[in-house]
Amino acid sequence: MMRIIFEIWILFRRKVMETIRQPAWLFIGLITPILYIVLFSPLLKNLNDPPLSTSEVLNTFVPGILSLLAFINGASAGFLVINELQTGVIERLRVSPASRFALLMGTVLRDVVMFLAASIIVIFIAYLFGFDVHIWGLLVMFVLLSLLISIISALSGGLGLIFKQVGSLASIQNGLQLPLTLLSGVLLPMSLAPKWMQVIAHINPLYYTVEASRILAGGTINSMVVFKAFAVIIPLTVITLYWSTKVYQKAIA
Amino acid sequence: MNAIEIKDLKKSFFVKGKNIEAVKGINLSVEQGEVFGFLGPNGAGKTTSLRMLTTLLPIDEGEAKIFGYDVKRNPKEVRRHIGYVGQLGGTDIEATGRENLMLSSMLYGMTRESARKQSESLIELLELNNIIDRIAKTYSGGQRRRLEIALGILHHPDVLFLDEPTTGLDPQNRTNLWNHIRQLKAAGMTVFLTTHYLEEADELCDRLCIMDKGIIIAEGTPSELKQQISGDMVTIILKKDHMDIETIFDGNSDVLNINVEGKKIKLYVRNGAIAMPDIFDIIKSNDIELETISLSQPSLDDVFLRQTGKSLRDTGGTF
Repeated sequence: MMRIIFEIWILFRRKVMETIRQPAWLFIGLITPILYIVLFSPLLKNLNDPPLSTSEVLNTFVPGILSLLAFINGASAGFLVINELQTGVIERLRVSPASRFALLMGTVLRDVVMFLAASIIVIFIAYLFGFDVHIWGLLVMFVLLSLLISIISALSGGLGLIFKQVGSLASIQNGLQLPLTLLSGVLLPMSLAPKWMQVIAHINPLYYTVEASRILAGGTINSMVVFKAFAVIIPLTVITLYWSTKVYQKAIA
Repeated sequence: MNAIEIKDLKKSFFVKGKNIEAVKGINLSVEQGEVFGFLGPNGAGKTTSLRMLTTLLPIDEGEAKIFGYDVKRNPKEVRRHIGYVGQLGGTDIEATGRENLMLSSMLYGMTRESARKQSESLIELLELNNIIDRIAKTYSGGQRRRLEIALGILHHPDVLFLDEPTTGLDPQNRTNLWNHIRQLKAAGMTVFLTTHYLEEADELCDRLCIMDKGIIIAEGTPSELKQQISGDMVTIILKKDHMDIETIFDGNSDVLNINVEGKKIKLYVRNGAIAMPDIFDIIKSNDIELETISLSQPSLDDVFLRQTGKSLRDTGGTF
């Protein structure tokens, strides 16, 4: 057990060093959510009559954007895996006696930590514009979204190992990303959607996390919505991590 | 105990609705301390075999043991005892050479202190002093390859697997790497390598097998294999194409085998010195004009040619 934690730690550190040496990635990761806040959220003000205050808009909008950020960051894992397949790094690591779970988790944890770092910056900027910060709610939200990004990262990494080509991975992920994000109420709450969309949204795990994130960011922790989100996300995390570890074990021609 | 023991190893892939047998049941054993080679053209199944032996690819059928450890049943133990340098290399190019060495050492269970010591001695051995703290992206091909060899041997493996170790290296770096491989052998390591370079197999391997289309077609020491092509080889090049050059040598007891490639004809003979005059007479009496005639010892390429009917040089090996 100690051994696996140590392996995860050194593999995680490798990925963090790699990220720090490529500051462009950090920058791009941050710029998307900030652009949404600055260039999209003002549009939402006048949707209501009377117009909403900036702070009301941000309270609804920021949690959704953080979910989107988790989704996008996690989905880049597969491309990095393909990169390392091509340089043979994955192969070299797989030939070592290191635990396959550790090989997976090094990347997953890096994605989680990078996401948390970016989120804190986004929240700070949103706070300057009038976003209401509820610390405890936000902390629970971070736990939920960390699980979400673990799912996406492990899934994306596993798919990368299976498909091995940037092109095929990109088409699969894009094919999934748009419907999943649109049907989760990332940008606007699903309560604005017609009945049929709300029904479909219920089979979308992302929908539950987005709904719960809004409630948590509003400061309410003890809620059925939050409970439901964890009830959906925790088993999904276990399943995807297990599956992706298996892929690391079995791969690859 | 043998270093490597393989029994009826098989692997097939399902590609585009078709089942392709990449390795069709190979048997071999490699002794401890040997440099053993897999020689064959691209697509012969060398890499697939190697990937099965190194636990990277599940074995379909058959059995493989490395220092007594069963690859199928006990991959984790096998991994501790082998080193592997793949065709792709495996350097993490975003990290420094030293970080690469340290990470690998610790994944093999060394403490930070012994990892540091081991890295130092490998940096010395493979002459990496000047570059080791640079990001590996900036390394030349030869430098990167040396780092990869270091990564392959840092845990003192019993067997080192090298997949096409010198592909893409210039002649100087290739000779340099050969010397490093000889040093490893001298230190008692078993080395198992694949190559499509004849010179490399000839130069480095104590024993080798020639592989083509998923099967082993010949096995032995380089000189044994060359002796299978008993005797010498006379190569003649004609001025013009000749339709049935084979038939004019029919019934000639000197000539054991003929291979025709357009105007270039290779005659395998028992004794070159005796056969040459006869061959010359036969050519003359058939009114065939010669460009050149030469006598040589058979090379491993001739062994390959004899077994498969094609030259290794024509099947994707680049020289």
